[in-house]
Amino acid sequence: MDSSLNWLQNTSVAIHIRDSLLLFPLLESTHVIGLAIVVGTVVIIDLRLLGLATTHRAFSRLGADTLPWTLGGFAVAAVTGALMFTTNATVYFHNTWFRAKVLMLALAALNAIVFELTARRTLGDWDLRRSTPPMARTVAAISLVIWVGVIVAGRMIGFTATRASVNQTTPQEPNFEDLLGLPK
Amino acid sequence: MRDFALWLATTSPSVFIQEHNTWAIPAIQSVHIVGIAMVTGSVLMITLRILGLTWTDQTLRQTTNRFGPWLNGSLWLLLVTGVLMVIGEPVRELVTFSFWAKMTLVGIGTIVAVIFQRSLRRHERHWDEQFLHRGAIKLMAVGTLLVWMAIIFLGRLIAYDHVWGSWSPAVNQ
Repeated sequence: MDSSLNWLQNTSVAIHIRDSLLLFPLLESTHVIGLAIVVGTVVIIDLRLLGLATTHRAFSRLGADTLPWTLGGFAVAAVTGALMFTTNATVYFHNTWFRAKVLMLALAALNAIVFELTARRTLGDWDLRRSTPPMARTVAAISLVIWVGVIVAGRMIGFTATRASVNQTTPQEPNFEDLLGLPK
Repeated sequence: MRDFALWLATTSPSVFIQEHNTWAIPAIQSVHIVGIAMVTGSVLMITLRILGLTWTDQTLRQTTNRFGPWLNGSLWLLLVTGVLMVIGEPVRELVTFSFWAKMTLVGIGTIVAVIFQRSLRRHERHWDEQFLHRGAIKLMAVGTLLVWMAIIFLGRLIAYDHVWGSWSPAVNQ
């Protein structure tokens, strides 16, 4: 596994992102936009299932309005996330928060599958109703918890994984020794 | 601003966050990101309704009634968590170009959100019968969405203010 991770972080794409001052921050920002669209639209659906918002509107219509954006936002987050992963693959792979995030994304997918196999099958009975089946409410509550967890884990990766070092000649951070007049 | 930031860093709320920074900073940032997601979802849906792409079975007023309160609530959440982040890391936030560019756009985005919701309450019929068919209104809606996207970019760039080169006070000290 480590050899393929090593190969990955030495691909020209990974090196190119590492060597650029701008690319990693741009990938991160675009990742946040993607995830904001995912979570923002998932929350709309979950609140409908919980009977807390948009209760007067057919679930099927609401789903048709939001799902393409959820999937599109996810695609953006997945591509930018994968590109960031390549820059320091060995470190991210062994990072506990990264693993927790991947696990929670898998649980989110499983949760969606459970919804498709249960409440979604009886949609005709509750599509126009405020009150949804208990299974739909359970899935929605779990979904909200998982997505907040994904955000927390994602943010923690940035605090616990060492960022790939950037090859550059000028110091990027202020030099505190100079600033405080400390002897060299 | 640097002096103010350095003073702020010595106040007790700031010291508290700094002493508990291993969990406090990521926790506040995570709540901030949840707020960002709620704003993005709400602004996106209202924009798509103005463009006539979704929510077409609902009037603009109905769509805004659904998202307006969540949008406003999320903006307050962002203000509170944002202020906490500034208190916790004053120099890192205040002595950057990205932060002030972001605040300028946040001001614009918030003013547009307030004016839009007020105007819609007062001139509901005008909006549904005339304004929604105007290209300029659709253009403004897309422009507002782009302002919020730019705010997300600038927010993340606070941590990388050196990308602005000589514009960044963090580089120019």
